[in-house]
Amino acid sequence: MFEDAQQSDTALAAREEFRPLDPRVVKLWRTVGFITASLLMLALLVVAFITSAIHPELSPWVFLFWLLALILSLWLVYWRPPRLYRSWGYRIDDRVLETRSGLLFHVRRLLPLTRLQHVDLHRGPIERAYGLATLVLHTAGTQEARITIPGLDHVAATHLRDHLVEVGGDDAV
Amino acid sequence: MLYEPPRETDAETIGPEPVGAKANLANASLVNASLLEGRLHPMTLLLGVYNYVRRMILPLIPLIILERGVTTVVIITLMLAAGLARALVRYFTFSYRIERGELITREGLFERTERHIPLERIQEIRIEQGVIHRLFGVVDAAIETAGGQRPEAKLSVLSLREAERLRQAVFEKESARRVAAAGSAPGEASAERASAERASGEREVLIRLRLRDLILAGLTSNHVLSALVLVGTLMAFVDDVLPESFYKQIVDSVSSQIGRVAERGVMAAALAAVLAMIIFFLASLLLSITGSVALFYNFTLARAGEDLHRSYGLLTKRTSSLPRRRIQLLEIKEGALRRLFKLAALRADTAGSDFSDSGERRQGQGVLLPIAPRDELDRLLGTIFPDLEAAPRQWARVSRVAVARVAIRGAIICLAFSAALSWYAESLLGLWPLALVPVIYFASLMRYRALGYTTSDRYFYMRRGWPGRSTYILPIRNVQAVAVRQTLIDRKLRLATLSIDSAGQSRLGGPQLPNLPVDEAYALARAIAHRAASTQYRW
Repeated sequence: MFEDAQQSDTALAAREEFRPLDPRVVKLWRTVGFITASLLMLALLVVAFITSAIHPELSPWVFLFWLLALILSLWLVYWRPPRLYRSWGYRIDDRVLETRSGLLFHVRRLLPLTRLQHVDLHRGPIERAYGLATLVLHTAGTQEARITIPGLDHVAATHLRDHLVEVGGDDAV
Repeated sequence: MLYEPPRETDAETIGPEPVGAKANLANASLVNASLLEGRLHPMTLLLGVYNYVRRMILPLIPLIILERGVTTVVIITLMLAAGLARALVRYFTFSYRIERGELITREGLFERTERHIPLERIQEIRIEQGVIHRLFGVVDAAIETAGGQRPEAKLSVLSLREAERLRQAVFEKESARRVAAAGSAPGEASAERASAERASGEREVLIRLRLRDLILAGLTSNHVLSALVLVGTLMAFVDDVLPESFYKQIVDSVSSQIGRVAERGVMAAALAAVLAMIIFFLASLLLSITGSVALFYNFTLARAGEDLHRSYGLLTKRTSSLPRRRIQLLEIKEGALRRLFKLAALRADTAGSDFSDSGERRQGQGVLLPIAPRDELDRLLGTIFPDLEAAPRQWARVSRVAVARVAIRGAIICLAFSAALSWYAESLLGLWPLALVPVIYFASLMRYRALGYTTSDRYFYMRRGWPGRSTYILPIRNVQAVAVRQTLIDRKLRLATLSIDSAGQSRLGGPQLPNLPVDEAYALARAIAHRAASTQYRW
């Protein structure tokens, strides 16, 4: 494909296996999911009360529907995180960072490290409680200008960031 | 306006500790070379008020119509005063200068804004001259840097001469800076110097479009094609599909209104319909041609050193200067009609403002060349990307499964439509969408054949589309990221979509290869990413 066959050989055969995220991320996603689901269901409950006040004849259906939604969302909150965790992975060789993710829709993103503009280390309050961090990698692109790696151990994420900053972005900007 | 010899800046360059003697020397010579300092043209006042009034007039129209008393006069006077005040503030507070490799603009009365734009970050300078501007010999200038929805700085209005000086100063300094930066590599430096010398000097006109070309561009534009298709289908529909009774009904209603005899009505109605269609078609043709001519009148693409210059426009004149290495991606667009005549347009992505929201089409900003014979256009590509290899002969195709996949999807839609129609109309006429299935199969086959990609050492090429076709040329040094996506159906078929991200892509996205065999997609993505990683991206 490219002239220097030796290089493309190493490129074609990925030398490293994907590294998984920190297993604690399952708990993190469940917690976050639980909180958002609760808020959403609470809001829906208010809607349900209002609807049944206006149309009393519909009220059993409205609450049945709400109960179904509650069960579905709770199940999703429990079921999804471990599978999402297994779908996630990332690997870095000396030139390219690659991430893979997605349950229904698989996405792999490849980032040439020299294209790295800057790296954010993001830590929300719940992430902090679990000792985790999210790396956000920025390029000058458009559709894929932000590539994120969630659920990294905080210390490991810091090391990874330092490594990426050192290796990447040597462009004459 | 004022061209002052550098006084304070001399002291400033000596001031900081010299880091490297050579760099400092180069820096000093740069500063002395051309310090530019200026203010807006006095016409800012008039045009400022004019623009303000133009924006505010719409809500005022009802007022003017309904109430012509003292209040209206007061309101209008106040409005004019407000517009004038704004323009006055802008005129008296706005200043700009080029200093130590930066363009600095300053503005504001109470809340002051000072903006520093490093010259090497300037992507493009666009100069626009409306009809009123032309009467007074002034222009609006817009400075583009990477990213953002709007220009980084707007200098409106400047005198024509001043704008030209600004443009020259920015790009000459940029070239000179690169000469200084490349000092260690002698070969490259001399090449850069040569180009820097040329940047200030003569322009080489690459292509100039004649009126004939623009009329042709209007005639073959997509608007015309869609009008043609619309007229064609309408005629077919009227002729074949509708039952005779329906005709009669229309004719009856029409003829009863006009008061004609029913027997002659059928002919008259058909004639009127045909006539209306012809008029509609001619009107859209005329509109398309006038649009094309007004926008791109006297289109000239020229090169001076590293910069590409475009100038065009009948009423509003536009010029733009764009260093060619700022071009992220080229797209050769051949609409269906244009392919018949071997014509094509050339579009470029730059990292400047995003014009995908209709602005582009109205103002032609992303358009490097609105129309040219395909072979002439191919000849120009080497001027835009100097390290471009010969055009690819062989195109790699995606998986053959694509044909069946697209055809089946189309067939399902047709079937659903057909079923719904038959059920609703309770007639076999509802089956006619099924006749489209062979057409869809044929189209998907042609599209599969048109879709191809190839990579060379420095470039990624891709073409797609039928009957209209787009060809993308993407330098691998401009690749920012690569993504491979799989939907559920993709996974069943072991296919994937590969997309390549670069700076300044429109919202519709850049090169995208659907239906690649998944292993091939991963291998290609890895190869492109590794290749990109070993090149250097320059803004």
